[in-house]
Formats: sequence, C-alpha cells, structure tokens
Amino acid sequence: MAATRKPDQAEWDALAARSRSEARRNQSLLIAFLVTVSLPVLLPYFWMFTISVSAKTGGVESIVLWKSSAILVPTIVGIGLVNAFVGDRMRKLYAAAAIVVAAVLAIFISIGDELHLGNYVFLHNSNFVQDLEGRRQATTESQFPSVWLAFGNSLMLASAQTVLVLFVSTLAGYYLSRFQFAGRQAFLQSLLILHAFPAMTLIIPIFLLMYWSGMLDTLTGVLLVVTTLELPFAIFIMKGFFDAVPWDIEMSALADGASRRQAFFMVVLPQVRVGMLAVGVFAFIKGFEEYVFVRTLLFDKQNWVMSLYIFWVSDDIMGVDYGIVAAVAVFYVMPSVMLYLFCQKYLVQMNIGGIKG
Amino acid sequence: MARIELSSVTKSWGDVVAVEPTDLVIDDGELVAILGPSGCGKSTTLFMLAGIYAPSGGELRFDGAVVNEVEARHRNVGIVFQSYALYPHMNVRRNIMFPLKFKGVPAAEARRRAEETARLVQVGELLDRTPAQMSGGQQQRVALARALVKEPQLLLLDEPLSNLDATLRLSMRSEIRRLQRQLGVTTILVTHDQVEATTMADRIVCMSKGRIEQVGSVDDLFLRPKSLFVASFIGAPPINLVDARAEGGRLALPHQAVGTKAGDGDVVIGIRPENVALGAPDREGCLAATVLQVEPMGRETLYVLDSALGRLHALEHGAQRRFRDGDRVGCELPLSAMLLFDRQSGLRIEEPGLAAG
Repeated sequence: MAATRKPDQAEWDALAARSRSEARRNQSLLIAFLVTVSLPVLLPYFWMFTISVSAKTGGVESIVLWKSSAILVPTIVGIGLVNAFVGDRMRKLYAAAAIVVAAVLAIFISIGDELHLGNYVFLHNSNFVQDLEGRRQATTESQFPSVWLAFGNSLMLASAQTVLVLFVSTLAGYYLSRFQFAGRQAFLQSLLILHAFPAMTLIIPIFLLMYWSGMLDTLTGVLLVVTTLELPFAIFIMKGFFDAVPWDIEMSALADGASRRQAFFMVVLPQVRVGMLAVGVFAFIKGFEEYVFVRTLLFDKQNWVMSLYIFWVSDDIMGVDYGIVAAVAVFYVMPSVMLYLFCQKYLVQMNIGGIKG
Repeated sequence: MARIELSSVTKSWGDVVAVEPTDLVIDDGELVAILGPSGCGKSTTLFMLAGIYAPSGGELRFDGAVVNEVEARHRNVGIVFQSYALYPHMNVRRNIMFPLKFKGVPAAEARRRAEETARLVQVGELLDRTPAQMSGGQQQRVALARALVKEPQLLLLDEPLSNLDATLRLSMRSEIRRLQRQLGVTTILVTHDQVEATTMADRIVCMSKGRIEQVGSVDDLFLRPKSLFVASFIGAPPINLVDARAEGGRLALPHQAVGTKAGDGDVVIGIRPENVALGAPDREGCLAATVLQVEPMGRETLYVLDSALGRLHALEHGAQRRFRDGDRVGCELPLSAMLLFDRQSGLRIEEPGLAAG
C-alpha cells in the first residue's frame, strides 16, 4: 500500500467546519422549502380568522387582509430564519417570542381599530339574518335553528360515530388478527375494496334504503350510514395494530390465570391504545365534517348539523356578509383543531405496521 | 408440585403432525430439559403442558389426573417465555402481582408476595420500573418472578436464556437451577442449546421431528446415543461421521482392517473430535491426514483435517498449537471410542465388537 500523508489538525478542523456549514445550509434549505409550501396552506385559515374578526356588513375590507398578511408572512419567515441560524436553544426561544410579540403589536397598531366581535352575533341570536337584512319576521319561528342545536347535533353525531367505530373495529380487528376462519382472506380483501369504493356512487341506493326503513331525516340513519362507510378502513388499521402485539404476552396472561376475555382487556387492549386513539380521532373528525350524506338525508332544521348550518348561512347572506360566514367557519373548525392539538403527540407515534395476511 | 405424565400424547394440525405419540414421565421436583433443533415439536409439547394447545390424542396427566381439557388458567402452570412476555404497560410490581389477581389473593397479601418473590430473584429494588426501563437480564428475572409467585405445580421455561449475553447466561443458569432446587418445583426446560440442557437438567429428552429420540442423563446421550441424530446433535464441535460398510465380519477402513460383530450392511462410524489423537505422520495403524485449518479456542484447539475418510475434526486440549495449516499428520482413531450406527435405521449398533486385525 502506498504511504499516504496523515492530515494534520488544521486540515481535520477544516473538514469539520465544512461538514458543519453543509449541515446548516441543508437545514436552512429545508426550512425555506417547508415555509414556502406551508404558506398557501396557512394563509386561508389566517384570512378566515381575520375576516371573522374584522369584516363589516356590506363587504370585506381587503386592505385589512393585506395589512395582516404583510405582518404574518415576515413573522413566519423570521421564525424560520431564527430556527436556521440561531444555534442555542434558549436564545432561539427568546428570539421567536420577540418576533411574535412584535407581530401582535404590529397587528394592533395597524388594524386594531378594525377588529370587532360583531360577526359572532349568531352565537346568541338565531334571527341574525333577518336582523341584518332589516326584514320583519314573517313567522314566529326563526329562519335558522340556534347554532348550538346544530353544534350539539354535530357533536352527537361525531361522538356516536367515534364510539361505534371504535367498538366494532377493535373487536373485528382483534378477531381478524388472531383467529383463523373460513373466508378470512376474502374478508380482508373485501375490506380494502370497500374502502377504495367511492361512497358517492351509493347515494341514491342509500337514500332509498333510508326512505324504506323509515330512517330518512333522522340523525340515527345518518349515523349508521357514515359509521358503516368509515368501518372498513378502521377495521384494517386496528387489525394491523393487533398484529403487532406478540402472541407471547397473550399466552402468558392465559397461563397466569386470565380467561381469553380478561387477557384481551387487561393485556392486549392496552398495547393498541395508540391505534384506538388514531381511529377514534379520525372517526370523530369524519363525523364532525360530514357533509354529503347529511345534506342528502336530513331536511328538518331540528336535525341540522354544523356543515348544513354553515351551508345555509352562506347561502342566505353570502355577498352581504362574509364576516358572519367566516365567524361560523371559525366556530365550526374549533373542536377539530382542539382535538388535534391534544392528540397530535400520540398521533405522530402512530405507525401502521406491515400488512400480514 | 406435581408428577407429569404424557401417554401417547400427540398434536397435529390437519395433516401436519407436530408431535407424534409421545410417552414421558416427569417426577415431582425434577428438572427435565427438552432438547432439539427448532421445529422438532418441543415448544408444541410445552404449550400442550401449559394448556394453550389441546392435545389431539393421548392423555396428559398431572398427579394422575387427566388434564387434557383443562384450560391454561386452571392448571396453575408458570411459564417463562423466550421473549419474557412481560406486560409492557405495567410496572414490575404489577407484572408480578398479575397472576395473583386471578387467585383471589387479597391486595395486601399479593403485594407482600410479589415483593418477596422479587427479592428471591434479586429484582427487589426494581419494582417501580416498567419493562422498557430494564435490561434483558432484569426482564428475565421479573418473568421468572411472575411465573413463581403463584407457586405453580409446574414451571415451564421456553428457551429462557437465549436472549442473554454469554456471561449472564452462565450466572442465570446456575441461579435458575438453585431456585428450582430450593423451591422443589417440577420444571421443564425447552431449549436448543445443549449446554443449557446438560448443565441444568436432571434428565434430558432429545427430540427430533416430533419424536422423542432418547431420554437420559448427559452421559447417556453423549456416550451411549441411541441414534445418529442424538450422536450428531449432542457435542460441540460435532461428532465425526464416516460412512463405511460391514461385510463378512470386517469393516474396511483405509488405514486399518477392523473386525466387527455387526451384520453385513452399510454403517456409519462416529468418533468424537476429542478422541481423535494426532501424531507424527506415516505411523502404523494411523490415518494419514493434512491440516486444513487450525481454530484456536483458548483452552482447546480444533484442527480441521482432510483425510481418506473425508473431512475430520480433531480437538486437542491446551493452547499450544502443535501443527499448522498444511502439516501432514497421522490420526489415531481408537476403536474403543468408535460408535457404530446402522445407516438404514439410524440406530446405534449396541455391540459392534470392534477389534483390530
């Protein structure tokens, strides 16, 4: 082998400095990319919120939007830059906090006068449309139900769907994972096909089914339909989680004196908590945002859910008052955002394992 | 503590026979090792004893009572799995207390017994840790404590040491043996590691392809193997096997004429590496060979030889290496150390009557 000269300390240092600067450059590029692609996603939500607290009847002050965006974008870019170029953890936090405080101040100084909560009138006055349009009440009944009724219906639908989906998919997933039975393979395949099947094509048959079974225009009917459509995928995911639980601990529980059922509840179920959380959160959000089937199967305004409420609000006063529509939207989106905020820590741990036949 | 009897116990799944009809008696307080390669039916036997699989035929008796149909939870059997199978969501204390929950042991009493058993296996100070916070050896001890806390009538160990490093394995081996003697619990150890079996067990059951090949002490298996399988499975490095033919009371070997009482037919000669004595080449009655490879193992040295009888292993005690690669040597193959097997049936010929001449 040819004798090679050993690099001296200065050369080692140069190499180390180069890899440090390369790592920093790559990280900056990554952050720049993420900021760029996240802006179009964030802006509409930001605007929705801004409109809901600033717009006045008769039109949107677009200058407010521009001003607020002119503050938001530099804020995000600034935080990105801080992330890229400030090394120390504490200093990073202080810098980011300073930027946020400056942004809030800037917002109040530039558009503080425009902000108001008038658009949230719908929360306590269900006659706001007539009031807005200056019409006199034609009937004693108000045109819209209380938003709280729709909100309650939505919560009920979503919660009931969550409970049903969790209950069925957990038991079915366990059975599919652990037991051998005739038609198991076919069952698994049909689950996937059902999931791939576009549900919209079923609207007319489902309408007829609901009509004939007397469940048309009932929340129960809608609940059964949306739950059924959600189930195949949920079962499949839960099966994957059960597949990842080793047989050993279940057998161990049996030898320790547990019955099969006790082993399931005391030993197996706790291992799939993350899966249940994921399936539960997705089922809740699916139920909460459901539009197509509630639009088709529900008529009476006592049965309205939030998606119908926001549809009729925008149908009635769009072009007159964007502010109220935006405010209803903010109100509507809150539970989902809260749910994600509380559960995201667990959701990101989720790892849907390989598919075993 | 129980006396375990298997009479023609068998297990099959459809056409696949995992365990052929098997007879075996294990005395009260005995430690028996079931030794065999993977897939030989040893774990299936273990699971039948635990009550996780029901035997397809035959009778399984604990202290004379047939328990074929008795569920695992009623058998009072403790198992330690290869993976330890600790419940990941419970701390050590709750893991050890788990079996007592099903025996109606009052909580205070259960805590006391769990702590006592934990001290017995030297994990008394780890009671509040979860399995993820412990090393493999500690998990192993906890699994042992969980199996012992219910005072089982039968303790089953499924490859308990194979996930531990070599030093730990050594100490766990003697510790399990000590505990087993101290508690007098009937124990069955399933393993593919002959050292584990030979060092721990009172008796060894050697299994292959769902059948018991031989039951006996270490000496029985090592010096008087009943079959080719046992001879080749027991002993490391493995026994040298050489094909030969017996004809007219003689065995034709290239270096020596040997008389035998074995009838005419194809035979296999077995000779253990430690019985092959190496010396100067070209001596009378010695097999000429060439050293292919020298494997120093510290206390011993293994030579891989090429000879007229094919590839042979010779094991010499001591660290000195008398020969090097390529050396020519003469091997003495003492007739008293030769085992003779019938090639057709694989059974050992008990009275080979080998004599020089």
